[in-house]
Amino acid sequence: MESLKVYFLIANRMYGDGVRSGLGLSVENHYAFPVIMNGEFPPFTNYMSDNIAWVKDMEGQVYSCGAPAPDNCVDEDGDKLIAEISLEELGEALRDADFIIPYGLSKQTNEPPPSCSGA
Amino acid sequence: MAADPNKFAIFVTSSQNMRHVVGIANAAEKAGKQPMVFFTYKSIHLTKDPRFKALAEMCGEENIAICADSYTCEGYDSAADIPAGLSNKQMRTQAFHGAQLEECGNYIVL
Amino acid sequence: MKILQVYRSEPNSDIKTLVAILNRDREADEFYLNVENPDYDLLVAKVIAADKTVSWW
Repeated sequence: MESLKVYFLIANRMYGDGVRSGLGLSVENHYAFPVIMNGEFPPFTNYMSDNIAWVKDMEGQVYSCGAPAPDNCVDEDGDKLIAEISLEELGEALRDADFIIPYGLSKQTNEPPPSCSGA
Repeated sequence: MAADPNKFAIFVTSSQNMRHVVGIANAAEKAGKQPMVFFTYKSIHLTKDPRFKALAEMCGEENIAICADSYTCEGYDSAADIPAGLSNKQMRTQAFHGAQLEECGNYIVL
Repeated sequence: MKILQVYRSEPNSDIKTLVAILNRDREADEFYLNVENPDYDLLVAKVIAADKTVSWW
């Protein structure tokens, strides 16, 4: 089976799980490219950061589109694990994808209330 | 292995599209395609929808599964509370999604 | 290359930009799921006819 290029587009703060889903394909010998849109970053727990690093080790890449890559998700040398990509660059990359997966829900209109802290 | 044009994958990622899942799976079957459905992350709540069991029976054991880790993460008991219509063999990993990509000639995300 | 754009909700400006790039020089079709009674038979026929389907959030 030929390895597939699969992009996971994450537009909602609750759907950072798209990184894990991408990693699940990486370990099946596909190339996963989770893209976090407009700063909807998940909490960078050790688990999440390890997954992001693992995607990269498996020749994929987690991207940030529309917001600077966060500086609290770094490798052991302190280098950012998430790369930045513009919307136009993303569009061109998607033309070359085998599958494009808008994951979960779209961005919410309202900011989450304080009771959502940690989510 | 080339993707089978007679298989129709539905990758379910959000918790609000059960009517679309059922509608598309039924339409795919009517069109002579075998639906292959995987529920992951928040979408596993749809296993509690009364329409889920009939969907599972229509797809058959090899062609519908849920992410067991997601089910557990969302608070359900993946040992003692297998969703209606499924067996424990259908409590799977993201590898089932990989199989959808590899096996199905048709694919949609919900 | 036939590409099908499916919309689960009203597309925003990001989606419109990406769709314009994806559809460039390709035969493109679309389907809106965010209606009261989607024609699922038509949607399935469009997916079968397409080489690639993108189903936006």
